[in-house]
Amino acid sequence: MTAPILDAQGLNYAYPGGVAALRGMNLSVQRGRRLALLGSNGCGKTTLLLHLNGTLRPGAGQVLIDGQPAGYDRASLAAWRGRVGLVLQEPDDQLFSATVYQDVSFGPLNQGLSEPDARERVREALAALDIAELAERATHLLSFGQKKRVAIAGVLAMQPQVLILDEPTAGLDAPGVTQLKAALERLQARGTTLVFSTHDVDLAYAWADDVAILGEGRLLRQGGTVATLADADLLAAAQLNTPTILTLAAALREPGRPWPGGQPPRTAEDLVACLGERHDPGRF
Amino acid sequence: MFPIDQYAWTHRWRGHHPAERAVLAGGMLLIAITAPPLATAPLVVLAMAGATVAGAGVPLAAWLRVMTIPAGFLLLSLPFLAVSLDLTDGVALTVSAAGAWLAVAVGLRSLAAVSALAFLTLTTPVAELVPWLRRVGVPQAVVEIALLIYRLLFILADCADATRHAQEARLGYSTTRRGIRSLGLLAGTLLTRALARTRRLEIGLAARGFEGELRVLASERTLSRPRLAAVAALLFTVAALGLTLDRALH
Repeated sequence: MTAPILDAQGLNYAYPGGVAALRGMNLSVQRGRRLALLGSNGCGKTTLLLHLNGTLRPGAGQVLIDGQPAGYDRASLAAWRGRVGLVLQEPDDQLFSATVYQDVSFGPLNQGLSEPDARERVREALAALDIAELAERATHLLSFGQKKRVAIAGVLAMQPQVLILDEPTAGLDAPGVTQLKAALERLQARGTTLVFSTHDVDLAYAWADDVAILGEGRLLRQGGTVATLADADLLAAAQLNTPTILTLAAALREPGRPWPGGQPPRTAEDLVACLGERHDPGRF
Repeated sequence: MFPIDQYAWTHRWRGHHPAERAVLAGGMLLIAITAPPLATAPLVVLAMAGATVAGAGVPLAAWLRVMTIPAGFLLLSLPFLAVSLDLTDGVALTVSAAGAWLAVAVGLRSLAAVSALAFLTLTTPVAELVPWLRRVGVPQAVVEIALLIYRLLFILADCADATRHAQEARLGYSTTRRGIRSLGLLAGTLLTRALARTRRLEIGLAARGFEGELRVLASERTLSRPRLAAVAALLFTVAALGLTLDRALH
């Protein structure tokens, strides 16, 4: 197996004032996967994400990039941030320019690209998020969902190998979530590794390849989505609910029968498909 | 929230190169200041109103509102130009024909100049003019601060609005006394929020490789020769018509 593209080992971090946010946190990000960080409020999700692009420096432990310990000098940080892009939860915290076009051009210019190359990056990033028509718009006149996508485009324009998103669906309406997921799936299809934090267990269950369950500044477990989220004790320890679809499916399944298709349904569509195959009315 | 800004971002000529509008406004301003005002100024006002409302599609009401305040100042101050203080024989205020003529001339000239600026204001966001400052030699740091202020202004105004609504919902402005207290709290909240926000902005900028210089690219817009020709033709027509009318008047 190849080395994880990002590997956090035993991170400790305390905010000024002494509140310990990370206590021996581990996380390994596998290339090309879609990894969800799940945990209740205050479990250290955001703090961990800020370590993954070098914004915060751990009190103990280390972050490895492709197996190499990350450096915190200026040149290393610049290279790190070119490879690992971070999208903050609140887009207004990230968009600083008057127009969308200007804002998205910021990252590529910082990478030292020439003007024509930077313009090409801007065009590609806007196209990837399906917001080319917003280019000339004022950032402060956009809707929340549009701002969110512009914020992602601004990071994407740097062509990072890993895209880290803090609560990407928070505050988005249903069409906004659908559009965002579609855009992120396109990125993943082109080889971008995705890491996102969420406290929405249903989203993680339906959509992530892998999940990492965090609690009180530690990694409780990391693994494949279905196997990990089926562990009720683990979820209880992390103060998370069982995914709704999984609860329903478990209640509807005939005791002892294997799951149709070998694994429990992950989406409402899966569940409906299972119900179509039932033998006993009301069960499958 | 800021209607002028809103129009500046959304009018019909938004996609055109801002220099085309700057040349039009600048040209009209020059005509307004130099040409004989009685005949020319009304033409300039008419042309600028037409460009703003019929051309760029800014509502007439918005144009009138922008014009009202400077026009009000003019109305208040011009009578003082017409009146002269005569101290030769005690204190006497006289209105001379020359003074009245001067007041009318200055008034028309100013109104024409204001109409040209109103056109530019309503069709060009501040943010689009700021990069020009860089070109005329204003230091990069000042330009960056101006741009950040422009952006944060809207965020903080939203924040202030939301906080005020929350305070109102809990009767924070039910009496004058409470209102003053609530306003003080609002100001304090805004300051701490602004500080927290700049912290987070810093993280966001650092994540995109910020190393002390906010460099961005303006979108590429091409100057349109036909439009520039139209601008030149309009300027020439207004100037020529104004001069001809002026000669006819004398």
